[in-house]
Parts: sequence; structure tokens; C-alpha cells
Amino acid sequence: MNVLIVEDNKELAVEVYDFLCNAGYICKIANNCADALEEFGSNDYDAMLLDLGLPDGDGFEVLRAIRKTKSKIAVIVLTARGELDDRINGLHLGADDYLTKPFALTELGARLFAVIRRIHGFTLNNLSIHGFLLQLQDYKVSFDEIPLSLTKKEFDIFQYLVLNKNRVITRLQLTEHIWGDILEVNSDSNFIDVHVRNLRKKLDKHTSIDWFETVRNVGYRINE
Amino acid sequence: MTRLLVILVLWLMLPILVENVVYHHINNTLLEKKKKFIEHLNKEEINDFIENPDDSTDAFSEFSTLHSEFLVLSRVSIKPHQKKTTFSNEYRKIEGEESEYRILQHYFTYDGVDYQLEIGSSLSEVNDLTFVIKLFIIIVFVIILLITFLADTFYIEYLLKPFYKIIDTKIRRVNEPETFDHTPIKATSRDFRELDFVLNQMMDRITEVFKKEKQFISNVSHELLTPIALLKNKLENLLQNQSLDDNAVDKIAGSLKTLDMLKKIINNLLLISRIDNNQYELNEEINLREIVSDLQEDLQDRIEDKDIQFMNEMENDFVFIGNKTLVHILIYNLVTNAIKYNKPKGGIIIEDGFADEHYFISVKDSGIGMDESQLEKIFTRFARISSDQEGQGLGLAIAQSIASFHHIQIKVKSVLNQGTTFTLLFEKAN
Repeated sequence: MNVLIVEDNKELAVEVYDFLCNAGYICKIANNCADALEEFGSNDYDAMLLDLGLPDGDGFEVLRAIRKTKSKIAVIVLTARGELDDRINGLHLGADDYLTKPFALTELGARLFAVIRRIHGFTLNNLSIHGFLLQLQDYKVSFDEIPLSLTKKEFDIFQYLVLNKNRVITRLQLTEHIWGDILEVNSDSNFIDVHVRNLRKKLDKHTSIDWFETVRNVGYRINE
Repeated sequence: MTRLLVILVLWLMLPILVENVVYHHINNTLLEKKKKFIEHLNKEEINDFIENPDDSTDAFSEFSTLHSEFLVLSRVSIKPHQKKTTFSNEYRKIEGEESEYRILQHYFTYDGVDYQLEIGSSLSEVNDLTFVIKLFIIIVFVIILLITFLADTFYIEYLLKPFYKIIDTKIRRVNEPETFDHTPIKATSRDFRELDFVLNQMMDRITEVFKKEKQFISNVSHELLTPIALLKNKLENLLQNQSLDDNAVDKIAGSLKTLDMLKKIINNLLLISRIDNNQYELNEEINLREIVSDLQEDLQDRIEDKDIQFMNEMENDFVFIGNKTLVHILIYNLVTNAIKYNKPKGGIIIEDGFADEHYFISVKDSGIGMDESQLEKIFTRFARISSDQEGQGLGLAIAQSIASFHHIQIKVKSVLNQGTTFTLLFEKAN
């Protein structure tokens, strides 16, 4: 999952960055409105943490610009102002949640997770698909209460495909969301196939997985 | 230096000049004396001179009391081609005392008899005089040297102070136009104030250009990347359409790949121009060993995919100040190159150490290698090693930009079909 941290206080930004990286997100920091919009325009983000008071403008402007696009990005507004108006305004403009500074990083993590889950149409922290149960916060998968041992990457791929169920996810999308922004042009993505193959083998042991489709030359799709 | 040379030449030349002047002067007085002597000469006198009863010789000599001058008249037979008047320096012994004389020899015939007249003038005084002049010259030169040296120091230290201040604060210390100090330099002379003013003006123009370029870069990224993101979204949504036939799916997938390539090229070019434009800060502590082990983790899949043996043999915890993101990209690009151009089941060795005042880290692969002509252009943008290889040849151009931004040297060694070694040299002082 890619998260853009828009925060002008560099110390706080780095703190959040370290925390979210440890939690398994791929993060980037933008220190002002211009950088934030530029990053948003150039990369595919799943969520954005948006500070309101930025050196070159108001965070609301960024929010407004983002909501004009069709992006499904989850936005959590971070505000030091704590004013009711700000919070309401933010939610009206399309923020998915807000946090008042100072906040606990664990709360931020929980809210971020909840927001992403909600955006993909899930309400529980456990996703279930064809008898498999994904415990998102513990990175665990089980089938009929029998735990599967998946690697971190296998879990990430499975989770991303389940969150985006019924959609074709291209290899490029998978690399971007799981390996992060690879600058290298035309980097071969064969290694993804290796992980997917291993994942399918592990799932196949428990039940037939004809719902886990390979779309030739393009990518993968999990059908519900 | 030139001053010393001039003084040396003068010091060697002057005594010769002085000598010439002095000889010329003595010659003239000797000629004068000869003229007087011959004018007043008559038969009796010659006889008086020569046939002196006390003297048995055919010559007459006379000298001054202090032996500074003498005169000798003698009867000789003149050889046919004898020059009439000559000058020479000779040693003469007069009354047991030998000293150097300037001597005029004159041959003449009087009353059918040939005579030789010698008039001498002592040179010992002249020699003393030359010595005194030489000494005097040395003293004068030493004084001149001291004065000019002091004047120069004063000139540089005092009068040129604003000049060096301008160079130091306005030019040397300015890496970025934004850090330029516009406060005028205090100067007594109008020229320096003018120089300072013009420099400020020039810097303002450069700052303006820099700002515009930054603005341009930001515009480009926004204006180009936003439509790309839009297109990408549309194509991805199009892919969800179940009624598409395989052919259409292939075409959409191909377009998505091209779009992705386009996006990455733009991002890479932007990265290069941002680095070259000093838009990154160098203020993070970087531990190279950490970066390499992070990279190894990130790239594990690709290393395994090619069955490459990756050996991290780093032994030092070298820490320096720089930009972590950029250094990460630098090492990343070198390692991914080592993977990309490696043979299946090849190897990559990462080593570090200290050599010749530098800390070095090297990435060595057992890949396809390069020949000389390929080596020459590896850091050029869009220069690929061979046309069938993937990639756009920006990775090493970026590596180069990042390295020079951090004052890191990149060295490459390569043997065709055996492998390539990239070495980064860091300043130890860092």
C-alpha cells in the first residue's frame, strides 16, 4: 500500500514515515501543497495523510484538487487546529477521517487501516474469500481454522487482490503497490509471477482456486 | 620573482657600466696630459729628460709622490705598423711597490728620433671606488626590495581587502543562488563597489533563472504526469470489461506498459534535473552498510529470479552526510544494473574498504561486461549497452548526477564477457 504523508513539520513527517514503513506501508513525504499534488499526480497512492497548515497554502486546496479527480485515494486530515469548522469542512470536502494533533501513532495506524478497508468495501478487519480468512492486522491467513504459512510478499499480493476483488490487477500495479515505486524503466516483473505461483500452490492445497484467475499477458484477478 | 631577476641583472650590469665610464674618463685625462707634454717638448728638454747624468739608461721616468701617476719617456725604434696610441691595464713596480695602472702608450718621432711615451694612472683608487659603488648598489637594492615588499603587503592586505572579501563571500561560498548574500561589501574604492554591485545584479538574474527552472520542472511534472495518471486509470478500468477479446486486452496491456515507461522516464529526467538544480538537501547521516542490506532485502526477489549469488562483504560502518533517498537510488541503480546485466547463476560481490585517503565501496558483477567504446558512454543519458537490452539507459546517468552532487567519484572497470566493477570513492573527511 502506498501512503503519501503531507506534512511540513519534517520531524513529525519522519516519525510517521518510520512508523508506517514498519507497519508495512510504502511511504513518501511531501512537505508542501505543490509537492503533494505533484506526487499525487505522478504516483498511484492508496492513502494520504494531509496536514492542513502548509507553507505554500491550505491543505484544503490539496483535498479539493484531489477530489476533482476520480481517484479513490483515502484521505485522513491531520489538524492542529482542532476546530469543529475545520473538521466538518474537511469531511465535507471529501476527507475520509481526521486526526487532531497531537495524536498517537497507533491510533493513526488503526484509522488508516480502517479507512483503506472501508474504501475497498470491507467493514471488518478480517477479509474472507472462498473459505480463506485474512487477518489483516496480523498478516495471517487461515482456511477452516488451519493456518497457512505465507511469506510477507505472498500475503501482500493476496491481500491486494482480495481488496480489489473482481478487478484485473496488472503486474505493474502489483509491483507499484507491493514493491514500491521502482524508478527503473522497464524493470522486468517476472519475480511477481514467482510469488503468485507460490501463493497459488499454497492456496491450492486447501481448495480448488479457479476463482484466482491469471489474465494472460496482463495480470491477475480474484473473483468473488 | 621578476623583481629579483631585474635586480640581479642590474647588479651584474652596473659595475661594468661604471668601469667603462671610469676608463673613458681616465683615458681622456691621459690623452690630455700627453697632449700637454708633447706640445711643450723641445730638444733640450728631451735631452734633459733622457740624458740625465744620474741615469745610465735611455729612458726618463717621473712619478708623483704617492705613485698615483707616472710618466716614462724612452728612445725606441718604431716598428713599421706600430699603432700610434694604445691603452692597456698593466701591473707596474714603482720603487718596490706594485700596483695596477691604466697606461697610455704613445709613439712619436721628434727630430728624426723615435720615442715611446708612457703615461700611467693608478687604478687602485678606481677599484676601491667600484667596490664602494657595488656595496652602495646592494644596500639600495635591499632597501628597494623591502619597500616594495611592504608596499605590496599593504596593498593586498588593505586596499585589496574588499576584493578578496567579494571573492570569498559572494563567489566561492555560493553553491546556490538562493544562499547568495546581497549585503554590500564595504569598500573605499569606487571600483570595488561597482564590482560588488554588478555581481549582485548578475546573481539576481541567475536566481531568477533558477527559480524559473524550478518552476518549469514542477510544471512539467504536474502537467505531464497528471494526464498520464488519468490515462492509466482509464485503461485499467477498461481492462475490467469482461467482454473484451484477447486481442484488445493485449493492446490495452501494451499501452499500460508504454504509459508506465513514459511515467518512469519523466520521473527519472525530473530526478536528474532536480539533482543538477540542487533541489535536494544534504543533511542526513547515511550508513552505507544499512543501505546495502536494505537493498538486498528489497531486491531479493530479482536476485533469486536470476539465480544470482549475492555476496555482501562489507566490513566497515562508514557514515557520511548526504541525502539518504538519493544515495539509496545511487546504490540501487548500481546493484540493479549488476543484476540486469548478469548471467544466470552469476555472482555479485559488494566490498568496501579504505585506499589512498578514500573510503570505497565496489559493486562487482560477473555479467556480460563492456568493451572500451561502450564504457565511454555509459553515463550518457539514453545510451544503452545494446539495443536488445531493456531499460532506457538513465540509471547510470542518475547515478552520476547523484555521485557528483555528493562529491563521490565513480570508477568503472569492465572486461567483456567477464563482468563489470563499479567503485564509489568517498572523501575520508566526510
